[in-house]
Amino acid sequence: MTTRFDALTRPKSGDDHRVSSKHRSIGFVLAFVGLMLAAVTLIANIAAANSDTDTGTTAAWSFGLTVLGFGTLKLAIGLVLVGILVRLWFRVTAVKEACANLKPDAGAPEPRGTIQTEFGECTETAEAPGPLPIHRMARTMWFPMLAMGYMLVVVGFVLSLVWSGKVEDGTQQAAQAWTQGVQFLGEGMLLAGISFLLGSILAALREGGGTLQQSLGLAVRTLKMPKTAKLFVGFMVAGLMVSMVQFVLYIAAASITNPQSFAAWSAWLGPFREFGLGLLLAGIVLALVTIGNVLAFQFSRVREIITTGK
Amino acid sequence: MATNTEFNYEVTDDSPGYNRPQTMGNRLWAPMFAMAIMAFPVALVLSWVRASTIADAAGPVDIEDAARLGHLVAAFGFIGFLGVFAAISFAIARILGRFRKGGGEIQESVGGDVHTLRMPVTAKVFMLFMMMGMMTIGVSVVLHFVAAAGVGTWELESVARWGEVLEGFRRFGVAMYLFGIAFGLGTITQVLRFQTIRVGQLAR
Repeated sequence: MTTRFDALTRPKSGDDHRVSSKHRSIGFVLAFVGLMLAAVTLIANIAAANSDTDTGTTAAWSFGLTVLGFGTLKLAIGLVLVGILVRLWFRVTAVKEACANLKPDAGAPEPRGTIQTEFGECTETAEAPGPLPIHRMARTMWFPMLAMGYMLVVVGFVLSLVWSGKVEDGTQQAAQAWTQGVQFLGEGMLLAGISFLLGSILAALREGGGTLQQSLGLAVRTLKMPKTAKLFVGFMVAGLMVSMVQFVLYIAAASITNPQSFAAWSAWLGPFREFGLGLLLAGIVLALVTIGNVLAFQFSRVREIITTGK
Repeated sequence: MATNTEFNYEVTDDSPGYNRPQTMGNRLWAPMFAMAIMAFPVALVLSWVRASTIADAAGPVDIEDAARLGHLVAAFGFIGFLGVFAAISFAIARILGRFRKGGGEIQESVGGDVHTLRMPVTAKVFMLFMMMGMMTIGVSVVLHFVAAAGVGTWELESVARWGEVLEGFRRFGVAMYLFGIAFGLGTITQVLRFQTIRVGQLAR
């Protein structure tokens, strides 16, 4: 399974690195579709607020449609990230060839174990280190998370239409709870899928950097997992857990018949599910920051190889 | 020596370093992240207070309190989203900066010309939508505070309508941010393609 999903993030034999990324083009089109769905709900909300007859019907379906728009945008971001992964492997091949030609011959130095660099602590080994457990997990989980997340968002949109149809007779509470719970579980899974793709990018940088140095017969320097990466994993796990808990709580809220109690539950469940998404997004920030730091380390290392041959 | 006629790039003797948006990205991702981390819990705590007010509501004063708190919860929650999406955007700009600076320095160390991709259209779309998203959510947040302050003097129906319209704007602001982020990441793909081609030329 891992291999099958991992193959989607690597160039196929015969692919040309000079050709523009299809993932990127399709991602941009999907992102535009998502933006338009959100624009429709903005117009609908303004119209509903100025209408004397609308009693919440628009708010119901526009909620579902907005989250569907957000889901489509997140799917687009996921697709663009797959495109980045494919490009990273092209880059590894190109840098390997370039370094082999440009590196001065300085012999093979002895690995020194753990050393300190300006980018943080790193290990120096004779061979490229294997992937960390979190990297293997990221490579396995990104696809199921994106697929299940988007399906839940679509199911939630259908539920929002049911909710909308029940507003007139005042029996919408269960449909409302199911819509919100299902859609935000989907949103959480989509963000987790994006997080796993960012984890896969970090894995590709680690593996690519290691094999590059090993192929040149050099001591393999690999940055140890930085604090930002550890925090990224922590935020992601916490965010995903909150997304699951909010789903369970919405199912519980669906059985509440007293309107006042239901309103009280809804009042805090909304911000609670947003708190979960906030945690996942905070993790994504830290993953991106980690990628930036690893890139700076790798550029510095390639420069060192080209100038000193060590 | 042309890198690829399809790319618009500049040729210099040394690495151009970070451009202004990338410098901003380096400096601002952390404060924006901190703002988000503080705002989300505030919104959550206020929502618990509001839930308790609704559960115990017995008169018009409680209904006004719930309406006021509703606007405050939305305002703080979306200060959080504004901060976290801004932090993501700045972190992407920071990555683009790493490619620009690092790619330039490697070419410089090899000797000869340094080829650097000029800012692509996708990067401009990224910045434009990030700014529009930020402004849309920012203005909505300010108006939520205005509506919260208006509870008691405005009609409750007006307060509710403000909430409905602002919700639409907030959501659209988030969509604009996400659209911009997709284009920011798409720019990284483009930079990777340019640099891969350039590295191949350096080897020859």
